[in-house]
Amino acid sequence: MDDDVLTTLKLLIIGESGVGKSSLLLRFTEDTFDPEQSATIGVDFKVKTLAIDGNKAKLAIWDTAGQERFRTLTPSYYRGAQGVILVYDVTKRDTFTKLENWLNELETYTTRNDIVKMLVGNKIDKDDHEVDRNEGLKFARKHSMLFIEASAKTKDGVQCAFEELVEKILQTPGLWESETQGQKVRLGDHEQARAGACGGYCSIP
Amino acid sequence: MAADSDLESEVFEITDFTTASEWERFVSRVEEVLNDWKLTGNSARTLSPEKGQYTSGTWGEKSQDINFADFKFYITHYFLKEECDQDEGTDSPKEDVLPLGIQDLLCMNNDFPPRAHCLVRWYGLREFVIISPGTNCEAIISESKCNLLLSSVSISLANSGCQVPMFVQIQQKWRRMYAGECQGPGVRTDFEIVQLRKVPSQYNHLSGLLDIFKSKIGCTLFPLPPVNIAIRFTYILQDWQQYSWPQQPPDFDTLLGGEVGGVEFGKLPFGACEEPISELHLATTWPHLTEGIVVDNDVYSDLDPLQAPHWSVRVKTAENPQCLLGDFLTEFFKLGCRKESTEELLGRGLTEEEGKDNSDISSALSKLTEPTATVPITKLYVSNMVHTARKHIRRHRRIDESPLNTDVLNSVLLYLFPDAAVEKSSENVKSKTAPSNSGETTEQDKNSDYNLFLQLKSAPSDSLTYRLALCVCLVNYNYGGMRAVAHLWQEFVLELRYRWENNHLIYGLTGGPPDLRCCLLHQKLQMLNCCIERKRARDEVRKTLEGSKDRERRVSGGSQNSRQAPESTAAATRELSQGKSWDSWSDSEDEFFECLSDQGEIEAPQTEGGKDVSKGKAEGRLHPHNNMTLLNSTEPLYVPVTQEPAPMTEDLLEEQSEVLAKLGTSAEGTHLRARMQSACLLSDMESFKAANPGCVLEDFVRWYSPRDYVEEEVVDEKGNTVVKGELSPRMKIPGNMWVEAWETARVTPARRQRRLFDDTKEAEKVLHYLAMQKPADVASHLLPCMIHAAILKLKEEESVEDIPSVKKSIQQAVSQASKLLHPPNRDYKKLEDFMNQLMVMEISITRARSLKAKFSVSEDEKGEDADELEKFVSSLLEEPEVAVIGAGQGPAGSIIHRLFINSQRAALLAPMDDDLVSDRKLTGRSSKVADFPPPAGREILLRTCVPRPAPYSKALPQRLFCVLMKDEFRLAGAFSTDTSFF
Repeated sequence: MDDDVLTTLKLLIIGESGVGKSSLLLRFTEDTFDPEQSATIGVDFKVKTLAIDGNKAKLAIWDTAGQERFRTLTPSYYRGAQGVILVYDVTKRDTFTKLENWLNELETYTTRNDIVKMLVGNKIDKDDHEVDRNEGLKFARKHSMLFIEASAKTKDGVQCAFEELVEKILQTPGLWESETQGQKVRLGDHEQARAGACGGYCSIP
Repeated sequence: MAADSDLESEVFEITDFTTASEWERFVSRVEEVLNDWKLTGNSARTLSPEKGQYTSGTWGEKSQDINFADFKFYITHYFLKEECDQDEGTDSPKEDVLPLGIQDLLCMNNDFPPRAHCLVRWYGLREFVIISPGTNCEAIISESKCNLLLSSVSISLANSGCQVPMFVQIQQKWRRMYAGECQGPGVRTDFEIVQLRKVPSQYNHLSGLLDIFKSKIGCTLFPLPPVNIAIRFTYILQDWQQYSWPQQPPDFDTLLGGEVGGVEFGKLPFGACEEPISELHLATTWPHLTEGIVVDNDVYSDLDPLQAPHWSVRVKTAENPQCLLGDFLTEFFKLGCRKESTEELLGRGLTEEEGKDNSDISSALSKLTEPTATVPITKLYVSNMVHTARKHIRRHRRIDESPLNTDVLNSVLLYLFPDAAVEKSSENVKSKTAPSNSGETTEQDKNSDYNLFLQLKSAPSDSLTYRLALCVCLVNYNYGGMRAVAHLWQEFVLELRYRWENNHLIYGLTGGPPDLRCCLLHQKLQMLNCCIERKRARDEVRKTLEGSKDRERRVSGGSQNSRQAPESTAAATRELSQGKSWDSWSDSEDEFFECLSDQGEIEAPQTEGGKDVSKGKAEGRLHPHNNMTLLNSTEPLYVPVTQEPAPMTEDLLEEQSEVLAKLGTSAEGTHLRARMQSACLLSDMESFKAANPGCVLEDFVRWYSPRDYVEEEVVDEKGNTVVKGELSPRMKIPGNMWVEAWETARVTPARRQRRLFDDTKEAEKVLHYLAMQKPADVASHLLPCMIHAAILKLKEEESVEDIPSVKKSIQQAVSQASKLLHPPNRDYKKLEDFMNQLMVMEISITRARSLKAKFSVSEDEKGEDADELEKFVSSLLEEPEVAVIGAGQGPAGSIIHRLFINSQRAALLAPMDDDLVSDRKLTGRSSKVADFPPPAGREILLRTCVPRPAPYSKALPQRLFCVLMKDEFRLAGAFSTDTSFF
């Protein structure tokens, strides 16, 4: 439907449970905030087209569940992602200290090493901050990430976070393919997938 | 034009070019170009070029089209790029300084540069301009046209004040004839060339050439200033007689000859089958002679190459020598582009089941249609020989018709599945040695090369997949091409099915879920192993359960049975899984998901016989969770044994994400997605309920999603601070998926739950997928492994020879390959180029090997010499021309000398063997064979500085470069004249 889309990018949102990953995504895609956002099970998926410098990029954003137990399931969806948003809750220190684990997980399961990473400190609308902005900055610097503080509730920084990330991805050569190439990729995958699926139906009635 | 405008300006004020001729326009265009390129005026540089700068420096080239009427020319500026451009000083040219082009004629620092434009070699120039006919334009042959061009050059040089020598190319291109001119203040140098097919006998030596030079100068001074002479003779060695290429092609025939196990399947062949160095060119140079020091005339010559003060060598390499690794790769790569299916290749009969009688006909038919182009002719000959020989040995015609020799097939399978050796020992008596080298390979893990598979998306170098790639490659190349590959693949899949059906793990795969960083085929094999592992575990549990049931009947009320039984299972699993047990399986986690129909029977007595009827009997506990107790009782909170998530290969994963993505982004989509993925959550809840009788959702959340259980310190009515906890708001939303799932979750331990992963179905899917692969598909699947193997082989061979340039290109190749192999749609054109690069590396290594063999010092073990020779050989590989230290007397020099002597002897004595004895006597008498053959080329450079045209003119550089070869005689002269009074 989008003929003028330059490319389709796969983005990930990861982080501890309850830091507001789904809320950030909802704010970005639908510009709403649902205080009754239920806890994600497995992975969720949203699409949004974003125009950066006149180029339209279609974003396929995978939102993941933060619970420990789901981590046997969710990393399979890391494959092929070009950008990742790593979220922590500025009012809960433990969500910040666990960031290292998330980075390790990314390292292990992503298929490319030039993936663009963005650190987002969420819930800055709240008063009881436990993580200082500078700590976030330091962490992001140490791991060569983009950094922003945001609030899904008040809208602060959300749009900006996604835009920056996408812009950075588009600036990275070799990280994304233009749409024509991308279509070829999908064709190949279809064929493979069909062959795999067929296996099940033919041999087991 | 100049003359015209002068005339006109006397009469009128305006200048009129409207009637300018084509020639005038051409001249003005040339001038324009010279102006554009800023070549006008004298550059103030007076420094003569440094020694060897013409070789070490970089040359620049600028060119442009230029028309003479409708005839197209190219005008090109060649120049040596110099580090410090002193262009600022161009404004004040000194009157008496000669143009650079004329100065360079006498400079001795860059005689005989190894790689340069011919005009550089002939005239020693560092900067010049050439006007040559455009492509597809005829050459300038007629004398009047030549003169017209030359005068154009002359006029434009004079008009623009350009001091760069300018040439026009005349005659046919191949003759490399140039005429040119260089103008400076009061001086002019004419460049002219003579080129003949044969060397006139009176000029076939130095003295004759000196005569030409002197007569051309026409100087009447007496005594004439001495002529400076530089000479280079080049000798070519083509015959490596004594040093015949040592590399033997691997002996593929040993296996076919009947010795099973003669060929190592894990090794890739390497090296060239023919001499990769075709010629050695020795240049002997006398860089600085003066007239009268040496005598070289028609009867005698002082110019003995052995006595030359300077030797240099270059090697000419054979073009595309046949190299084994390269051949293997190419054939394998070609296989990946074929279309034939296994059925087409082997015929219906063979595909279904071997041994049916009709297979004879169909395979005979397909044999007729089998393309043999993939098999090199030489190899065909051999295999045909063996084939006919085998016909006599074979008794079963059926086996005779199978594309892959049974012995070969057996040894390939044994190599792929070494653990099968024990079982199949009755069939293969000879190969009874059961390899147990899994310990060795784990040590190899530390090797940095080991992780190469991550970059290439192949498979670990000790894995089954990798070994399969090597075998397919070898079978394709040497044991019957594509049909044999189809046959091997079929057998391979049969073996896998056998293992699946008989609960034997597949040997040589790391345990655990499919490694998505490896190639898809590897993932599929790992997947199959997962299935086998689970099926086996299931069967074990069933067995022990049946056993325990028996025991139950005998000893009633044994509550420890369930604990005992799995232990033995775990032991059995550990024993059989080749030491590489699942990472995810801890020993305590040895209860298995079971969904047998008779399970209800076991459950019933347990609940009946429980001590606490209200809470039921706890089942499937893993360990207590952080000393927590249940909210509604004092029982500790237990983490339950849970079902492992379903392993996935990347194609399945892709499929699933597509399904999930297709649900759309609406709220319903999100809900549906969550529901689809809640199976795992539900299973965990059921396990949790089973492990913690009497638990509530809050308990579950405290384990599963602790941040969703909010604890607060509250002061109660009595004034005590109590920690009060409750679910987070999002968990309290009525009807949310978690609550919903909790309500539907039954009390069922993991082992009695429905399996989340249907191993039977998945295994059949994998096996079917594998069976459907055509030989070409197999080759494409294995290509990353093959490239991986080739790179490892190159690395290994390079490390023996230590060639920096190859080392560097291997590194580049790795990163390039990683880019080429990762995307799912491969660019075959680029891959082919990449393969060629690998071949180039192989050739470079074989060249190094060949040169090392020729310049080895094993005989006289002088330490220093060895070092020097090593340096010599490595620079021969990297540089176009290498100086021989010590010339004919140095260690390398003496080896070269010996090479020439041997080749000379061989050339002159070889016919003798066939001839009569009397002839031998003759040759024996004249055994004073010259050490060197006649030089293939002689270059003689004569230089002097004399006044021309009159004795009282300024002394100016004069130069004549003579080339004498078998079929060419060339004189390139540059003669300068003082134009002040002429």
